[in-house]
Amino acid sequence: MQHTIIFQPSGRRGQVEEGTTILEAARKIGVDIEAVCGELIVCGKCRVKIMEGKFQKEDIFSSMNNLSPLDEKEEKVLLRKDSDENIRLACCTKILGDVLVFVPEASRTGKQVVSKAAGVIKVKLKPAVRKYYVELPEPNLDDPLGDFERLEETLYKNNPKMKKLTIDYRALQKLPDVLRKSDWKVTATVWNDAEIIRIEPGQVETSIGLAVDIGTTSVAGYLTDLNTGEVLVTESMMNPQVRYGEDVMSRISYCMFNEETGLKELQDTIIEGLNTIAKQAAHKAGISTEDISEMALVCNTAMHHILLGINPEYMGVAPFTPALHHSLDIKAERFGIHILPAGNIHILPIEAGFVGADNVGCLVADKPHKRKEMTLLIDIGTNGELVLGNKEKLISCSCATGPALEGAQIEFGMRASPGAIERVKIDPETLEATYKVIGNNRWSNGETNMLAKGICGSAIIDVIAEMYRARILKKNGQINHDHASKRIRKNDKGLSEYVLAWRHETAIDADIVVNQKDVRAIQLAKGALYSGCLIMLRKLGIKKFDRLAVAGAFGSHIDKVAAMVIGMFPDCDLKKVEYIGNAAGDGARIALLSTDERRDANIIARKVEYVELALEEDFNDRFGEAMQFPHMFDKFPHLKGILSEEDT
Amino acid sequence: MMTKEREQELIKRLQEAVINYKPADAKKAAEEAIAEGADAYKMTMEGLAGGMEVVAEKFDSHEYFVPETLLCAKALYAALDLLKPYIKVQEGSVRGQVVLGVMQGDVHDLGKNIIKAIFEASGWTVHDLGRDVPLKKFVEEQMKTDSDIVMLSAMMTTSMVGIKKLIPMIKEKNPKVKIMIGGAPITDKTVSEYGADVTADNAPNALKEAMKMLEALRKGKM
Repeated sequence: MQHTIIFQPSGRRGQVEEGTTILEAARKIGVDIEAVCGELIVCGKCRVKIMEGKFQKEDIFSSMNNLSPLDEKEEKVLLRKDSDENIRLACCTKILGDVLVFVPEASRTGKQVVSKAAGVIKVKLKPAVRKYYVELPEPNLDDPLGDFERLEETLYKNNPKMKKLTIDYRALQKLPDVLRKSDWKVTATVWNDAEIIRIEPGQVETSIGLAVDIGTTSVAGYLTDLNTGEVLVTESMMNPQVRYGEDVMSRISYCMFNEETGLKELQDTIIEGLNTIAKQAAHKAGISTEDISEMALVCNTAMHHILLGINPEYMGVAPFTPALHHSLDIKAERFGIHILPAGNIHILPIEAGFVGADNVGCLVADKPHKRKEMTLLIDIGTNGELVLGNKEKLISCSCATGPALEGAQIEFGMRASPGAIERVKIDPETLEATYKVIGNNRWSNGETNMLAKGICGSAIIDVIAEMYRARILKKNGQINHDHASKRIRKNDKGLSEYVLAWRHETAIDADIVVNQKDVRAIQLAKGALYSGCLIMLRKLGIKKFDRLAVAGAFGSHIDKVAAMVIGMFPDCDLKKVEYIGNAAGDGARIALLSTDERRDANIIARKVEYVELALEEDFNDRFGEAMQFPHMFDKFPHLKGILSEEDT
Repeated sequence: MMTKEREQELIKRLQEAVINYKPADAKKAAEEAIAEGADAYKMTMEGLAGGMEVVAEKFDSHEYFVPETLLCAKALYAALDLLKPYIKVQEGSVRGQVVLGVMQGDVHDLGKNIIKAIFEASGWTVHDLGRDVPLKKFVEEQMKTDSDIVMLSAMMTTSMVGIKKLIPMIKEKNPKVKIMIGGAPITDKTVSEYGADVTADNAPNALKEAMKMLEALRKGKM
């Protein structure tokens, strides 16, 4: 039996089978609802309000009775926050009749402020795609050679490298008309000096490609002039797969639990996302999507497999074997990616199951393998990847940081979108907090309503560092109740918390707090990174590194001092800490512009030695020690004056 | 025969050593206890396990976290390794046997190791299969040891899936055996969906649940 479901405020509606959950219905209808925990009835982010009554305009009678009954588990999650009436979790509530569902702002997957700005790259231009203007001798009865062979001959004469040219079937279909309509003066687009992929009338010089970085959380596209390397348009969006779960694991498990359709759904979703990026970028640059002759892609291994429609299940479990390491070249048409149909999609190579093409992108951009000095490269995204080494040797590892550092799994965590607290300071004397909210330049004063909604990743690190400096947190992470401050309190469940923003300063009609569980989540995440760094140093038999390169769009927003105060990485001269921006995306651009770099990428991807941290004998101990602030034993001399003597 | 006072003093020292994670102190107290002919079982149960109970309380009240628990377990083992050979098998003991391991495809064994320490300290026999354990291995080990409970740990959603397959395999051979599952992605929903008996969100709770199951099993036998 089918029932009508209507979502507000978007006003989207649709018919769904009885027994469908509200979240499934939302996905089907295209309404974005947060599903951070991957439908495990844990995070409580998918709460929706059921509007009751007869809705004339919509012609339905909506009632709580039209839903599956509340069970203990769901009730427990709902009780965590004082909620008003008729609130249910979208992930586990089944539709048994017509309903009108209101998705509160906090449950909406908001438009993120994605800052994957293109960095400055140095690359010797040698794109795979080149355009050649040629004037062909017209055929006649004495010279009735075929159109393609005629073109091939001329191209070969101009460039002896193009000895065995082929032509894409789509380009071939257009060849005879274009040649004759343009008086035998045409521009041939040739891929890798091997295949003609497009024929255009007259002389065309503009040659354009698109470099794309598919992150777990966001996708960024850089429309690039292949003749100059210049970025024409940067276009970014949330990864539309976020609807299926926030992290890689929840998406892999979505594929596993929905055997028939899961993988296809996720694949279609990301392809649709890529098409949106291509379309919008082309529109902004005033070109057609067909003018995009190649796409170079970086992404993590799970995103890679899902994009290709390869079952990600096996790379998701030990020994985390990917389907392949080598880079791929696949025609856009075969994917349904709308650029030039004969255009190539180049996907960078993969290092290991949890160190993907995005990490290769970072290497291509930062080139630690070409440097003498020891680089420790940290790419902080939804997962943390580390690379350590120099031109002699490189090793890499993946740290299960989880998404806590980005604000997920945090009670009041949210993405970096308007309303998110992004910077925090705490007075160590009074323990009073002041903070900044995205979209507002002024610091809070404790009185003005800042319309704060939650805390984003950069502020989570700030606030934990500040809490530790102000001794609100003990070294072991415990919230210290010895202070007399009304900001430090216990909630009605007995959980310790620190009030960052009072109810009258927020847009959510509640205090924004950092609780003991949030601190624990951060301890686990930063402990994973720190112990990863230590084990990597030990693997290479060195004590310290010469430079610390922090990559990742989110990494650029982290305050270096705060990051070191909480102990995300070992002590070092802060001057040696370098933000290298969205290096993965920069790597994609470099690969788009140079076939030499593509070759190099395949070599490094196989040369980097992958270290499985969890297999290290003493990993648990090192991990445990690194969970304390900033570390259980290690000293941080470079934080003298910032931290107490005990830590420095 | 040592005096009551001396016995209590040693127990107290063992407790303190575990609670304050001092392996050297734990070792010293255990050595003295052995040299003076103290009851090793009592030392283990009241001293070490008693200390671990306090650790569990501190964990519950968020005073302690994973690092402290790990260190406490270390101190515990420093003494337990010495005391173990002197523990006489108790008549009518209610402690049981468990098979413990991390699911295939998963190498995260931190949680499993803490569980092991708490169970061993409480006098349980733990057959630890380690990590990335093939499904068949759990079934074989249960059969071989006739353990009361099989405890499965998974830290990733992807490795958790194996539990669904494994439970019927174990129950088919031995319907009476109880299954406890645990790890980050596991919820009460997983328990019912996968046909497990119970889950616990930390090691002390796991021990409580195991005790309950064991009592039920023993009653059933009588």
